Amino acid sequence: MAQARNAVIVGGNRIPFGKAGGAYASVSNQDMLTAALDGLVARFGLAGQRVGEVAAGAVLKHSRDFNLTRETVLGSALDPTTPAYDLQQACGTGLEAVIQVANKIQLGQIDSAIAGGVDSASDAPIAVGEGLRRALLRANHAKTTAQRIQAFASIRPGDLAPETPRNSEPRTGLSMGEHQARTAKEWGISREAQDELAAASHHNMARAWDEGFFDDLVTPFRKLSKDQGLRPETSVEKLAKLSPVFGKGEGATMTAGNSTPLSDGAALVLVSSEEWAAERNLPVLARFVDAEVAAVDYVSGDEGLLMAPAYAVPRLLARQGLSLQDFDLYEIHEAFASTVLTTLAAWEDEEFAAERLGLDAPLGAIDRSRLNVNGSSLAAGHPFAATGGRIVASLAKMLSDKGPGSRGLISICAAGGQGVVAILEAV
Amino acid sequence: MTKVLDVLTGNPVAKAVGKQLGVPQATELRRGRSLPTGDVVLAVLAGSGATSSATREALKGLGVTPVDAVRDEPAARTTGEDGRAVPPAYSSKIGAVVLDATALATVPELEGVRAVLRPALRALGSSGRVIVVGTAPELTDSPEAAAVQQALEGITRSVGKELRKGGTANLVLVSTETTGAALSSTLSFLLEGRSAYVSGQPWRVLGAEAGQVPSDPAAPFADKVVVVTGAARGIGAGIAEVFARDGASLVVVDIPAAGEALTKVANRLGGTALQLDITSPDAGQKIAAHVAARHGKDARIHAIIHNAGITRDKLLVNTDEDRWGSVLEVNLAAEIRINEVLLDADVAGGLAEGGRIVGVASTSGVAGNRGQTNYAASKAGVIGLVRAEAPVVADRGITVNAVAPGFIETEMTDRIPFATREFARRFNSLSQGGKPVDVAETIAYLAAPDSGAVTGQVIRVCGQSQIGA
Amino acid sequence: MASEEDVDVELLDTLPGIGVEIARALVPTRRGGPDGQLPTRRVMITDLEQDAERFTAYSRVCGFTLRDSVPATWLHVLTFPLQVHLMAAPDFPLALAGLVHVSNEMRLHRPVDIGERLTLSSSAADLRAHRSGTQLDLLGEARVGDEVVWTGRSTYLARGKRPSGSPEDAGSLSAGAEAPADPQNPYEKAGEASKTATKIGEVPTALWRLPGGLGREYAGVSGDVNPIHLTPLTAKAFGFPRTIAHGMWTHARALAALEGRLPGAYEASVEFRKPVLLPSTVGFSFAREGEDLAFRVTSRDGSKVHLAGTVA
Repeated sequence: MAQARNAVIVGGNRIPFGKAGGAYASVSNQDMLTAALDGLVARFGLAGQRVGEVAAGAVLKHSRDFNLTRETVLGSALDPTTPAYDLQQACGTGLEAVIQVANKIQLGQIDSAIAGGVDSASDAPIAVGEGLRRALLRANHAKTTAQRIQAFASIRPGDLAPETPRNSEPRTGLSMGEHQARTAKEWGISREAQDELAAASHHNMARAWDEGFFDDLVTPFRKLSKDQGLRPETSVEKLAKLSPVFGKGEGATMTAGNSTPLSDGAALVLVSSEEWAAERNLPVLARFVDAEVAAVDYVSGDEGLLMAPAYAVPRLLARQGLSLQDFDLYEIHEAFASTVLTTLAAWEDEEFAAERLGLDAPLGAIDRSRLNVNGSSLAAGHPFAATGGRIVASLAKMLSDKGPGSRGLISICAAGGQGVVAILEAV
Repeated sequence: MTKVLDVLTGNPVAKAVGKQLGVPQATELRRGRSLPTGDVVLAVLAGSGATSSATREALKGLGVTPVDAVRDEPAARTTGEDGRAVPPAYSSKIGAVVLDATALATVPELEGVRAVLRPALRALGSSGRVIVVGTAPELTDSPEAAAVQQALEGITRSVGKELRKGGTANLVLVSTETTGAALSSTLSFLLEGRSAYVSGQPWRVLGAEAGQVPSDPAAPFADKVVVVTGAARGIGAGIAEVFARDGASLVVVDIPAAGEALTKVANRLGGTALQLDITSPDAGQKIAAHVAARHGKDARIHAIIHNAGITRDKLLVNTDEDRWGSVLEVNLAAEIRINEVLLDADVAGGLAEGGRIVGVASTSGVAGNRGQTNYAASKAGVIGLVRAEAPVVADRGITVNAVAPGFIETEMTDRIPFATREFARRFNSLSQGGKPVDVAETIAYLAAPDSGAVTGQVIRVCGQSQIGA
Repeated sequence: MASEEDVDVELLDTLPGIGVEIARALVPTRRGGPDGQLPTRRVMITDLEQDAERFTAYSRVCGFTLRDSVPATWLHVLTFPLQVHLMAAPDFPLALAGLVHVSNEMRLHRPVDIGERLTLSSSAADLRAHRSGTQLDLLGEARVGDEVVWTGRSTYLARGKRPSGSPEDAGSLSAGAEAPADPQNPYEKAGEASKTATKIGEVPTALWRLPGGLGREYAGVSGDVNPIHLTPLTAKAFGFPRTIAHGMWTHARALAALEGRLPGAYEASVEFRKPVLLPSTVGFSFAREGEDLAFRVTSRDGSKVHLAGTVA
């Protein structure tokens, strides 16, 4: 593919991810995103400088945060003339933001950008009930006092109950866990395999923390200096004792231990042209190679909600002329342990390849020792829009450590039946 | 929170009471790059020893035009209304008195010191300076001359304690080789507000070479990389701030867990933050790599300030090996390892030729402190390191020095029990605690490109504390 | 439908209020019963401006994305007052209170815009015997100018008496819905056979959480103030344990769930099998059968079918 120039990952920064209702219980999205941004600015000495743009988003967002990212920039150490905008693609937000700015950099529209996301399950917006909301709007639009009084008089006690956002798909009313439980069952993913993956995630991430891997990827915030949900001491045996929480009855395999908990956090990535980085003596960890987004029709029950990456990756591989085995590292977002396992199973499945992907042969198996080697969302937690930034920065650093030419694949599933995937390559 | 002694000394009535109770009164100290408002008096004392013209030259180099000293000689005295002899006096307040006593070699010659200081101390204005320049006793050629020069230390220390209103007295010991240029940064530091909390201290400026004289005196560290460890808060943040003010390209280092505070320091000062556990075996390499990566492949460190330190206080009878080891590891061993790496000329991003290493010792390291055996060990170790390393790297123009802070007001000292804190705060010649900036200014002086003649020195920044004296 | 020239028309100036019509229907009248004659006239209203505000509210309550083109069920809502007006009339042979809406068919001939003025009409047809009583159809029509844009057939059942001379086993007489087995539950069917139950999976693909006040909400936007939908107390008075959801809400909600898959013109048929008690959580599933869509609203676990339908 003709490409004007490279977009490279310079580095990243995130705050440690907190458990919902934990360390960041009273902290807003803007607070967290500012902390992550200021940490990134400090790491790369960008205080007072203008970067091309900042693109970030949040999945759960207050109406007051209509301009979240720009407001964050204004409160940060960056030059206030740095433009910014919000974007959102559910759990794919962070990676989509990176793709967006990388494309702009490749096109030469900008030279540098910061991309990522933030989410708070603790400080989630609570909306007033529909009745109250309508009455308030009517009162607000009223031209006379009488109309206003009338509007207020129409409020009924029942209208005062608040509405909290549901973690469920609007079109199916099913939670993501319930959706994935069905997919896991269809693919026959065992409880043991899920628990093994979960335990490995915690152990890998704990090791990475101990080795100081995150020293230049994470800036502590609010007295939290490590991911709050990390359980280094967990084991397959301990995980086996938990009761299933998603799916009912026989064959239910998904527990709180092999599903990501609700979390709070923010993560950002510094992306630039090679020239911009060189002029500032900034490191270049990896080149952004390409990305693909797929979506599936989960509403009809035709495909599982979180299966879109299984479609996106073969499309991306075909475009790049690569095979699934051409990667040194794989980062598959652990929305649930079973998501990773169903995705891998689908890639190995002949029928799926033939009927769903229209391929002669399945993509095949991957070397599991290259998968999520420093842990993933099960251990770190998953503040929806922050996950992409976490993965991109961590993978870029791992690839850089492995040496030039090493290649990594990112796969993130998202609500709405979407999947965002991308390739990075160390330079 | 209102503090009892603040109330006592803060309002007029209480002030009067406070005075009667003997609570020392604190004066707002002159700080920063400001010269004293009154005249700078220069007295070059005649003596039988080798004379040095360095002092006069240095003042000239600084653009200071000194006035002659008033001397308390019997002939100069007048008789007062009560019939008693009145010594001669200055017509107005003076800002500083610089006493060149390098030539004094016999005991009677010390009278010149008294004759100059008596009227000068009476006339010294607020935050005034007494600067005595002597010859390093070990460089004199007779025991009497050595004794006389040593006597200057006693004089300076006592004068420091006699001074009020923020005045300080310090002794600079030179050699016959010390040039005016070499002495210049030291005299500038002492005259200016930068030395506000340094009093009663003797140190040596023996070299002939100043180093590199900065083109802009207000930004001596322009285009120079300065690394400050433990920079997230307290004294470390204060150090970083002063270097930023003076134009340095900063790399601020602290443990990953302090990253949030470090971020704020870096962003406020326009530096880069490096989250690093300095006790990790490759800490030196990581610092060098960061410098090489962020400031260009050929960039080298002008100065590294080893400020990071921890305390794990316990009486020695209750101290286990962890408590013992961790303090020594962070405060001393890490510094030794990092220096080793940075001093390697082959390491990209290491210390530049003509670079500066400044350690942070402590008055506890000088005098010991109950319950701080491990800490005192580490800080005394820093003093030993400075003295041993300085001559080794001298031929590369690199200097190695340390400061030893006394009671400095930080968030950390706010946690010291009230009585202990007030005691520490009040019982020094300046009747107050120092500020992080005072330590920082002293470090910046030692790290200055033109302080090349100052090496192997440990300067206490303690307001001439009576604790651990 | 009879040719235009033969039909008497009762022309209305405004859409009748359903509450008023229900009250009118409660006035004791001697009615013809199953052996009586259906009125032959068409109730009509011409050049009706659609209420965009009410349509907005309707779309929200039913889960439609608000569009300028209206769903077929909305046109049913607009013709419903004409139906009720006809059924509440003194010359209507059966009592309104005893009529149960058992199935509905509609054809949207072309996309209809909210800005289009409509001529609506309704007439009754085909009084016939059914296993459990008597059935009849209410036919509806919407035109824009002379163009027929929507037609509808609502089939009602009056339990109990059948027309004289009908055979004992009347099952064959009624192709669509069957008679309820449980007199307390007029929607309950004796059998479960249905043409629409084929390919749909057993487990619902979506869950709807229906609040207790849904009946009141839908009454507010549809005008259908039948007391069985409004409060538990009034619902009890008519033999239901709690309020029940409007059948046409459930139908509309199902079409809303299929939005994006609906063609511009379509025919929708549903059977109301079992009432949805409020509040409750129900399941929804659908499947494509050739060009058609089959859908079902069921109990949460999929075991009981509330509504089954097709879109062709």
